Amino acid sequence: MGASNVDTSNRILIEYDDKIARMFTIATIVWAAIAFTIGVFVAFQIAVWQLNFNTGWLTYGRLRPVHTNANIFAFAGNAIFAGIYHSSQRLLKTRMFSDTLGRLHFWGWQSIIVLAAITIPLGLTQGKEYAELEWPIDILVALVWVIFAINFFGTLLKRNEKHLYVSIWFYIATVITVGMLYIINAISLPVSLFKSYIVFAGIQDALVQWWYGHNAVAFFLTTPFLGLMYYYLPKAVNRPVYSYRLSILHFWSLIFIYIWAGPHHLLNTALPAWLQTLGVIFSVMLWAPSWGGMVNGLLTIRGAWHLLRTEPIVKFFVAAITFYGMGTFEGSLLSMKPVNAIGHYTDWIIGHVHVGTLGWNGFLAFAMIYYIVPKLWKTELYSKKLANIHFWAGLLGILLYYISMLAAGITQSLMWMEMDNKGNLVYPEFIETVIRIIPLFYFRAIGGVLFLGGFLLLLYNICKTIRLSPRDLKNDTIQIIVSPKAVLLSEHGHRRLEGMAVTFSVLALIAIMVGSVIEIVPTLSIHKYITPENKMASFTPLELEGRDIYIKEGCHNCHSQMVRTMPPEILRYGHASIIEESMYDRPSQWGSKRTGPDLARLGKKYPDLWHYMHMINPRAVIKESIMPAYPWLAKKKIHFFGIRKKISLLHKMGAPYSEKERADADIMAEIQAHEIAESLKKQGVKENVEDKEITALIAYLQALGQKGVQ
Amino acid sequence: MKQQALAHFTDTYLAAIGFFLFFFVFLGILFWIQRKGAAKHYDYMSHLPLREEERS
Repeated sequence: MGASNVDTSNRILIEYDDKIARMFTIATIVWAAIAFTIGVFVAFQIAVWQLNFNTGWLTYGRLRPVHTNANIFAFAGNAIFAGIYHSSQRLLKTRMFSDTLGRLHFWGWQSIIVLAAITIPLGLTQGKEYAELEWPIDILVALVWVIFAINFFGTLLKRNEKHLYVSIWFYIATVITVGMLYIINAISLPVSLFKSYIVFAGIQDALVQWWYGHNAVAFFLTTPFLGLMYYYLPKAVNRPVYSYRLSILHFWSLIFIYIWAGPHHLLNTALPAWLQTLGVIFSVMLWAPSWGGMVNGLLTIRGAWHLLRTEPIVKFFVAAITFYGMGTFEGSLLSMKPVNAIGHYTDWIIGHVHVGTLGWNGFLAFAMIYYIVPKLWKTELYSKKLANIHFWAGLLGILLYYISMLAAGITQSLMWMEMDNKGNLVYPEFIETVIRIIPLFYFRAIGGVLFLGGFLLLLYNICKTIRLSPRDLKNDTIQIIVSPKAVLLSEHGHRRLEGMAVTFSVLALIAIMVGSVIEIVPTLSIHKYITPENKMASFTPLELEGRDIYIKEGCHNCHSQMVRTMPPEILRYGHASIIEESMYDRPSQWGSKRTGPDLARLGKKYPDLWHYMHMINPRAVIKESIMPAYPWLAKKKIHFFGIRKKISLLHKMGAPYSEKERADADIMAEIQAHEIAESLKKQGVKENVEDKEITALIAYLQALGQKGVQ
Repeated sequence: MKQQALAHFTDTYLAAIGFFLFFFVFLGILFWIQRKGAAKHYDYMSHLPLREEERS
């Protein structure tokens, strides 16, 4: 509890807990260094396949989720917490509710990050983007989030400032929504300590996943950062926010609209059309409140634009807000079906995301760090010049990154779609479209290096700044006058609403629930969307094991399994995918990126031997392939016995496995593995791979698109 | 193809509910923030971060 003591004349002295803000600030910087470095490394892996080193935990498929998780939850997460702990106390004129909960939150969060950094490279993953963590860690995440929520709402309730400033609203929306999104998206049933199946299957999973995925962008990377912007930007330019009215309007519009936009990740797919249309409409509408925030941010600097020349902090703010504006405009643009047909599954999306993460989240976090470190450590920034160089290096890095990815994405997509006058694909081989854009992968990686280089200057600058701080760091204290009760009761209307944190939180919850319920609940009754004639068989035990290996190796990071309803796509891959085809998939594999081709109809396209050679050395069958090699698959053994448990769990969850399959799953898997190994032997493979992972994976790949509906 | 896409377009009422709900909430807020006598309050609010009262 805070060290506050009441003196006689209605004045109280409040000492803030600044240490917790310092802890989160340092964590932000440390994790950022790691997260950015991994980002640069995986960027080079795409350009140079040799950098996968033929080693499981070093391959792109496993490292890419480490990069995304590290940046979202470790870098952005800690930055948000640093800013929330620092600014909330000042805006609410009170110490945090509990120092102990703050410390639990801090150490809990850091241990989650460490656990993630260990388990994801080991291939322990749920295979859902930005939600890879396995169920025990998910439970820990939920617990830590609840601790944070108690501490945050406790602070709201004991506040000495009656009114809640707009930043606090954004924090409230974040705390509520992230908790809800994360928990619902992660509901799964465990097979073992390290393996679970998600309760949603196929289309339901795809929808819930992108409801979560998109709103992770909304409520983890947007609302908290807008909250930070509304506090730190006025501080940095010493001016109040341009329009408080606009902030109210865009806050409610933003949280109401954002939650609907998830389906724009699933356009032109098997998702029911009404949902796609809803996703498009709300995504386009989202442009307005997003720009409301941008305009409000930029105009806050009115009359202080000269600071742009001298203050690196203001430079970072202006660039961050501009990138926010660009990113949100592009987001609405990409949500329109025809544009999405070009952009989806390509590097354009990767570029788009990085405008947001590097430009908006990165630069805003840097602005905040440069602002609060001297304040928290009671000193001056060591070098403005270094901060300026950081700014320009980072800016150049982002532009290089974005432009190269935009060019790569559009080039490749147009090549995928190019048809000659007879209606045939001009580039039927996927690899032809990859070779063309490899040079751009280098440019992207160089952009990353520049961004990282700039950040290292921040690291050095901040270390030096902290060294300058006085030995005995004191917490900030303020004296406030407590307002008499009568004033509190006399106010009405919106002012009272703001005075009531609980009411406000409930309204915010309702705003986000409306979209969630309307979009997700209808698809939970999936039978409505399934045609009984399109009966699907489920994967055999060995195929299922192969599927789990596919997910473990992170194949879904580069391969989708969704033929979209577009003619060139159907020409290339076959009949458009339908809902039934993925109805037993936990999680679904609709994917978000095609660094390699779609695999929805891969089965029976090539002989087993082709797959065997391809996994051992992709260059043996596709000369210019950039895929990593997976030689360990031919050495690692299949755990046949574990399959039985998986099959019976999936049966309980609705997959139509017969009694025999449930009882003899391991034996059936062994028989199928034996058959595949024999056929490989006949085709000239010397090693006996009967009990090796590669056999299960081949079984799975050969089953893709072969389960009934063509 | 077209038929397949339209086959499931049976839930338009949901989209309509959502849209009108938002539209009226939006209008409500729009009028709300323009109400009389709010200017003073918003001025107070927008200066909150800049008033780090009576530092000791």
